[in-house]
Amino acid sequence: MQKYLGIKEWSASMRINHWAVAISIFILIVTGFYIADPFTIYAGETVNKFFMGNVRFVHIFFGGFLIFLSIWRLYLAFFSRFHADWRDFLAWTDIKGTVAQIKFYLLISRHPEQKYLYGPMQSLAYTGCWMMVVVIIITGLIMMGAGYHAGLTSIAAFVLKPIENLLGGLAMVRLIHHIFTWLFILFIVVHIYMAFWYDTVLKQGTVSSMVGGIKFKRTKE
Amino acid sequence: MAKGHDSEYKKMIDKQYKDLMKQCQVHMEQIERVLPEPKEDLHEILRDRGFSRRDFIKWTSAMTAALMLPPIFRPMVAKAAENFSRLPVVWLHFAECTGCSEAFLRSSYPNVDDILLETISLEYHETLMAASGYQAEQNLEKAINDFNGKFICVIEGALPRGLDGRYLTLGPKGKTGIQVAKEVTSKAAAVVCIGSCSAFGNIPAAKPNPTDAVGISKAIGVKTVNIAGCPPNAVNFTGTVLHYLMFGSLPALDSLGRPLWAYEKRIHDFCERRPHYDAAEFVEEWGDGGAKKGWCLYKVGCKGPYTYANCSKVRFNDGISWPIMAGHGCIGCTEPAFWDHMAPLEKPLDEKTLGGGERTIDNIGIALTGAAVAGVAVHAVASVIKYKGKNIFPKNDDRMNTKEEKHD
Repeated sequence: MQKYLGIKEWSASMRINHWAVAISIFILIVTGFYIADPFTIYAGETVNKFFMGNVRFVHIFFGGFLIFLSIWRLYLAFFSRFHADWRDFLAWTDIKGTVAQIKFYLLISRHPEQKYLYGPMQSLAYTGCWMMVVVIIITGLIMMGAGYHAGLTSIAAFVLKPIENLLGGLAMVRLIHHIFTWLFILFIVVHIYMAFWYDTVLKQGTVSSMVGGIKFKRTKE
Repeated sequence: MAKGHDSEYKKMIDKQYKDLMKQCQVHMEQIERVLPEPKEDLHEILRDRGFSRRDFIKWTSAMTAALMLPPIFRPMVAKAAENFSRLPVVWLHFAECTGCSEAFLRSSYPNVDDILLETISLEYHETLMAASGYQAEQNLEKAINDFNGKFICVIEGALPRGLDGRYLTLGPKGKTGIQVAKEVTSKAAAVVCIGSCSAFGNIPAAKPNPTDAVGISKAIGVKTVNIAGCPPNAVNFTGTVLHYLMFGSLPALDSLGRPLWAYEKRIHDFCERRPHYDAAEFVEEWGDGGAKKGWCLYKVGCKGPYTYANCSKVRFNDGISWPIMAGHGCIGCTEPAFWDHMAPLEKPLDEKTLGGGERTIDNIGIALTGAAVAGVAVHAVASVIKYKGKNIFPKNDDRMNTKEEKHD
């Protein structure tokens, strides 16, 4: 007879944060590509149309939301009452384990012992992802601040002005912002695949754990 | 309550401007004592050119507003304009096309700004002076010694640093541009860079930059006022000089040395076609229906969103037109390295190719995403074949195995 065993893996705030980030990034990618290469709306009078304005509003709104979510996630990494996982983000610093993990992914050897919440390559990808979030937030704030001359955003623009000059002006800032969009897309492809791979091939119950918080596993009685 | 607060605020502002006015008056009197008599009578010249007194007053209003001063400063602006030709100017040319001088001096509809520039007391200007050879050299030396610490050094053009600066030599003594620039700027009251070449290097410094050209402040390490643009608007230069005449100091500058009153905001922020941008109405190709209706030029390469300048406010040639009004997008000429960073000039940055190749970021991104999807598909099939039905986790790994499994 088969029995299912559940282990709590993710706290509710971690899960809410994860899916909020996922939805934000999806909306930001779609609206971002529109802003980069918009299509024209021919029907109607100019006075009645505000499509680009609305898309930019949604993009900026979710950009701001992503800043909030990042700060929230940073807080959880250090002060989560369930499991503060900041050490797990550094699993990749164990070089031997990282090499063993790469060998496993290349189907050369067996799965090494997993000492942390995240595997070594997983932790590297997630650390990189949050670094990407930092870069895309800073470049985004620079571009947003350039168009707003009052309020909090203008303060952000003023503070980030040296970075804008260092990168070579708004055109270069835009270029970097666009490059990082593609890095997010690549991250998403691999992330979703790995989640489903662990779930279906390695039978780890990964995907459902990010929804219900509990990792279910089939055990023999 | 609110009214009281308002009047308090108003009093404070009034006091601030009165102090500024006093400072201005003191400085103007000092200038009239120290600097030579105006070489030419501005009003006479304006009358000869068919400008009425009313035109001149209108111009002072516009200029006062452009300098972000309240209307009480109009008489001071007028006075500063009359004293404009008192200010000795040494105008140097380095690696450039003289387009900035040409743009200032040859407008077919000259306004007061252009005429002011014609009355300027040019002690030395390589394009306009009659002297040549040793005589020209003497003129320059005389000018910088006669007006030591009083003249304004205007520089047009970048400085090549390669071969010890010998890519650019001038004059009978074969001095390098860097030598001349150092000599003259060390005695100048202020250094004003006209055009993006002297400000940031611009086209002479564009990739691959074989002469290692850079802007003036980077080449010789002096503080400069950068009137960026290719060419810049005459208003931005005359305004800066008027500010200098009125207050004895240079206007507030942004982090790249450009006067804030002219370069604080982007073209995009005050563009007359901006409503079409927000309405998602774009010119898709030159001469299409959208172009005829004056729609936004973003998709035919307008770089207004990345460019800090006041072209959309002051326009060119007596306010007749400016690039976006004429139907061509902004090329971003007031920004550092615009020739490289803003390319391609007639396509949006989305179509920028990387490293001189033919691939845009989107091409590369799509290819990499496709490779990633193909890669994980191969990995999925291979791993299913290899790991199907096998337990590949170490027996003692609690995290990946359940405790129950450990017992069997």
